Amino acid sequence: MANLPRILPLRTASRGSTPQPRTQKPGTKAREIEPSLARLTLVWGILLGGLSVLGINLYYVQVTQGPVLQRKARQQQQIFMRPFVPRRTIVDRAGTAVAIDRPVYSLFVHPKLFTKPPEEVAAALSPILNRPAPELVNIFGQQRSGIRLERTLPEDVAERIQNLQLDGLERIQYQQRFYPQNDVLATIVGYTNVDHRGQAGIELSQQNLLEREVKALRLTRMGDGSLMPDQVPGGFLNLDDLQLRLTLDTRLQRVALAALRQQVKQYQAKRGGVIVMDVHTGGILAMATEPSFDPNKYYDFPVERYKNWLITDLYEPGSTFKPVTVSVALEAGTIKPNSTFHDPGGITVDGHTIGNAYTGHTGRLSVTEIIKYSSNVGTVKIAQTMKSIDFYNWLKKLGLGDRVGIDLPGEVKGQFKKKEIFTRARIEPAVTAFGQGFSLTPLQLVQLHAAIANGGKLVVPHLVEGLYDSQENPYWQPNLRPPQNLFSPETTTAVLPMMEEAVKAGTGKNAQIPGYRIAGKTGTAQKAVRGGYSSTAVITSFVGILPVDDPRYVVLAVVDEPKGGAVAGSTVAAPIVKTVMESLIALDRLPPSSAANSAADSAPVRRRRPSRAE
Amino acid sequence: MLQRPIWQRIQWKSLIQPWQNIDWTLLVLIVGVTGFGGILIRSAELNQGWTDWMQHWIIGGIGLILALLLARTRYEYLLQFKWVIYAVTNLSLLAVMFVGTSALGAQRWISIGGFYIQPSEFAKVGVIITLAAMLHERTASTIPAMLRALAVTAVPWGLVFIQPDLGTSLVFGAISLGMLYWGNANPGWLVLMISPIISTIFFNLAFVSPWFIGVSAVWVVLTGAIAWRTLPWHRLGTLATLVVNLLSGGLGHFLWDNVLKDYQKDRLVLFLDPDKDPLGGGYHLIQSRIAIGSGQLWGHGLNQGTQTQLNFIPEQHTDFIFSAIGEELGFVGCMALLAVFWLICLRLVIIAQNAKDNFGSLLAVGVLSMLLFQLVVNIGMTIGLAPVTGIPLPFISYGRSALLTNFVAIGLVESVANFRQRVRY
Repeated sequence: MANLPRILPLRTASRGSTPQPRTQKPGTKAREIEPSLARLTLVWGILLGGLSVLGINLYYVQVTQGPVLQRKARQQQQIFMRPFVPRRTIVDRAGTAVAIDRPVYSLFVHPKLFTKPPEEVAAALSPILNRPAPELVNIFGQQRSGIRLERTLPEDVAERIQNLQLDGLERIQYQQRFYPQNDVLATIVGYTNVDHRGQAGIELSQQNLLEREVKALRLTRMGDGSLMPDQVPGGFLNLDDLQLRLTLDTRLQRVALAALRQQVKQYQAKRGGVIVMDVHTGGILAMATEPSFDPNKYYDFPVERYKNWLITDLYEPGSTFKPVTVSVALEAGTIKPNSTFHDPGGITVDGHTIGNAYTGHTGRLSVTEIIKYSSNVGTVKIAQTMKSIDFYNWLKKLGLGDRVGIDLPGEVKGQFKKKEIFTRARIEPAVTAFGQGFSLTPLQLVQLHAAIANGGKLVVPHLVEGLYDSQENPYWQPNLRPPQNLFSPETTTAVLPMMEEAVKAGTGKNAQIPGYRIAGKTGTAQKAVRGGYSSTAVITSFVGILPVDDPRYVVLAVVDEPKGGAVAGSTVAAPIVKTVMESLIALDRLPPSSAANSAADSAPVRRRRPSRAE
Repeated sequence: MLQRPIWQRIQWKSLIQPWQNIDWTLLVLIVGVTGFGGILIRSAELNQGWTDWMQHWIIGGIGLILALLLARTRYEYLLQFKWVIYAVTNLSLLAVMFVGTSALGAQRWISIGGFYIQPSEFAKVGVIITLAAMLHERTASTIPAMLRALAVTAVPWGLVFIQPDLGTSLVFGAISLGMLYWGNANPGWLVLMISPIISTIFFNLAFVSPWFIGVSAVWVVLTGAIAWRTLPWHRLGTLATLVVNLLSGGLGHFLWDNVLKDYQKDRLVLFLDPDKDPLGGGYHLIQSRIAIGSGQLWGHGLNQGTQTQLNFIPEQHTDFIFSAIGEELGFVGCMALLAVFWLICLRLVIIAQNAKDNFGSLLAVGVLSMLLFQLVVNIGMTIGLAPVTGIPLPFISYGRSALLTNFVAIGLVESVANFRQRVRY
C-alpha cells in the first residue's frame, strides 16, 4: 500500500478545543490544518457510528424481523381467490332454461366517504333506484358506513350508478340464480340461498352436478394491483358447457299447473298436485303443486310452501288403488279376467260394514264392472280370494311402505302395516284392497299405475335426464335401478281395458278425449284423521293412462280437501287429467287411436321424444 | 530479428505516469460500486421494460473519464476560479427557478440540449470547492471567518431550499458542518449553530409528550453552558444563545404551519409511524422495509426479489435502490456493501490526512461528508430510520446528474491524492 503512509506522526490534541490560529499567507504550501488525533478520532467515530447504526438496524430488519416481513411480503404479493364459476344451467327436455346464473349487484353506501352532501347523493340516486330522495337521506343518516341499500340490482342499473362517479358508493357484483319460469317449477327445481347453495328440489339434490369443480387459485399480485398469470393452472378458463337436463316439459307443466289451479280455486281446496310420468322410462314430465312459490323471491313465502308435497306427504289413495289389487289377484292367479263377484251393496268384515260410494250397481259384477263402477265390495271380495299373507307379500313386493327413490330431496316412506297386524285382522286386507288403511305418496301411486301401463315393470321415477353439452351430446346420465318385473303382460293387458271401461262408461267419463283410448280410475278417499276417518274431508284423485293401445304416460291429479256438494275424483280431478292429456297429445303429437273402440288392432307406433326443433 | 512484441514495446510506465500517485483502491472501489449499481438498477426495472442501467453505466464511464482527467490536473488551479465556480453554481440554481421543470412537487431540472440536468447536484461540488478555497485562505478558527464561510454557503443553500429540495439542502448542511469542523472551527460553535434546529424539534415534541419538556430544558441549559465556554463574549453570547434557542423552539409551530409544504411535513413525520397513512405517504416506507426484511440473511438472489420484481416499490431504481439490494442480496449483501462504503470513506479520510495543503485536505473532507451523509440518510430512509427526503444512494441510485457529480468529486479527491507530495525534488 504505497499510499498509506504518513498518517503519523499525529500531533497530540491540544487540550483546549480551539487550535491555535496560525498566521500564514494563503496559497502557500504549508498546511494549517494539521492532522490531529482528537479530530481524527471524532471523524472516525462518526464514520463507524453511522455505519454501525445502519448495520445494527439492518440486522434488526433483515434477521430479527426478517421472517415477519417476509410473511408480510408474501401476503401482499399473493391473493387467494375462489374464482366465480357459475352454477350449471338447468334446462327442461326441450332445452328451455329453468334455472340460470346471472350477475347482479348489491349496492352499499358508506356516508363517511361521501365527498358531496348526502342530499346531493340521494338526489342523484333517487331516479335510478326509484326511491324518494328524503328516504335515502334518512337511510344515510343511520350509519356511517356499510349500509346495504339494494340487494339485487340488474347490470344496467348498476352501470348507471357507476356512471354517477360518486364517492362512498360500493357495488358488489355477485351471481344470482334466476328462475325464468317463476313459480311454475318451483317445488321441483327448488332454489338457492344467498351463498349460491341449493336449498330445495333439484338445486339441493343435484348440488354435485350443478356446481362446477372450482379450485381456489393462488395468484401473484403486482405492486400496482394487477394480477400475474404465472400461477394459474392450465385450462383454468375452459369452463365446460354442460347443462343439467331434466325430463320435465315446462309447457306441459304450465298447462298442468293452470288446470290444477283452476280446480283448486273452484273447489276451494287446500292443495292439489299433478304428476305426469313416462311409463317406460320413469321420467317425470310434469309435477305441479298448488300452492307454489316464486324461487326468485323465496324469502317472501312461508316455509311450508317450499316442499313438494307430492313426495313429502302421504295420503290414502282410495279407489285409484283398486286396479292394483285386481292386477295382484290376476297375477296371483286367484281370479281370472272373466271372474264375477256378487256385490250386495255391502259387506261386513270383522264387524265393520263396508259399503259402496256409488249405489245402483249391485248384483253379479264382472271384474271390469267392479273397476268401472268402483265397487268397494267387489274389490274386497277379489282381495279375499287371496290368503292375507300372500296379499301382504305382494304389496310389499310393490314397494308399499318404502320410498320410490326419486332424485329429489325429502321423499318420505309410505306407511304400511306390519305383517302380524295385516295378517291377523281380516279387516286390514279388506280396506287395503280399495286403498285405505295405508298411505303412500302420490308419486308412488303413479309408479304402480305405470307398472300396469308398461306391461308390468316397476320403473324408477326420476327428473334428471343427465348432463348434456351444447351440442346435445350426453356427458353423464343417471344410473337408475333396473326396472323390476311385477306383473306379466297378460295381467296388464287384461287390467287396462277394465280401466278404459271406467273412462268410457264409468266413473271417469270426465276424462274422455274423443279419438283417443284412455284408461283411468277415480279415487275419493276419506281423509284419515286422528283415530279414524273424517266425515267431511276427502282427498279426490284421478289417475289416467294414455293411450291404451300403446301406453306411454300416466297422469295423476290429486286435489286435497275440495269443498262443495259433489266432490269426487270424477268431478274434481278427472277434468285436470283430461286437460293435461290433451296437452300431451298436442305436444307429443300422439296419433289418434286407429280404432278408438277396439283394443285389438291398434298399431303400436312409438314415437320418440320430441326433439327441440319441434 | 528478435523484435519484441508490441505490448512489450509500449512504455506502460509512461502511460500511467500522470496518475501514478492516485489512490487506486478508491478508484477501483468506486468503479465497482457503480457497476454494481447498474446491475441492481437492471434488476429493479426488469419488469418495467426500462433500460436505465445502460445509461447508468454509460454515465459512469463518462464520469470515470472526467475523474481521470481531473486526477491528472493540479487541483490547486481551482483556487483561482473559486468565485467563478461559485457564480456558476448560484446562476445555475437561479436558472432552475426560471426555466426549470417540475416533478413531484419541486422544481429541480433544467433542460440543456435535450438532457435534463439537476443543478442542485452539481452545486454540491461547487459548494465544496468554494468552501474549501475560503477555509484554505483563512481557517474557521475565528468566529468572523466561520461566519464568512457560512454566509458564502448560505446563498446556494437557500436557493436549493426554496426549490424546494429539502434533501439536497440537508446535504449542503452536512458538507458545511464537516468542512468547518475540519477547518479548525470550534466544535462548540458548530453545536451552537445547529442548536436552534434541535430546540425546535424538542419543543415541538414537548407538545406531544410531556417528557420532552424536561429534555428541552436540559438542552437549552446545555447550549447556554457551551456558549459560556466557547464564545468570546461570555454573557452576551450565552444570553443570545438562550434567547435564540427558546425563540426557535417557540417558532417551531409557526414554521411547521407556514413554511413547510404538506408533502415535506408528511415525509418528515411519517417515517416515525408509516402505518398512519399506509396507502399514501407511508406506503413507500412500509414497502421498502418489507422488501429489505424479506431478504433476510442471504436474500432472494439477484433478479429474484419478489417485492422488487413485482414493482411494489415506486421509484425503486433511484432513491429506493437499496431496497432492491436488501431484498435480493440479503443482510450479507447489505453488510458487504456497507463494508465497501466504509473502505471508500476510509480512503477519503486518509487522503484528507495526507493532503499537502488545506485546500486538498478540505476537498477530501467535503466529499467525505457529502458521501457519508447521503449514504447514511438514504439507507436510513429505506429501513425506516430517517424521513424520505429524496437523497440518492451515491454511485448506485439511478440519476445522471448525481452520478456525474459524484465522479467529479472523486476526480478532485484523486487529484488531491495524486499531487499530495509537499516537496518535490
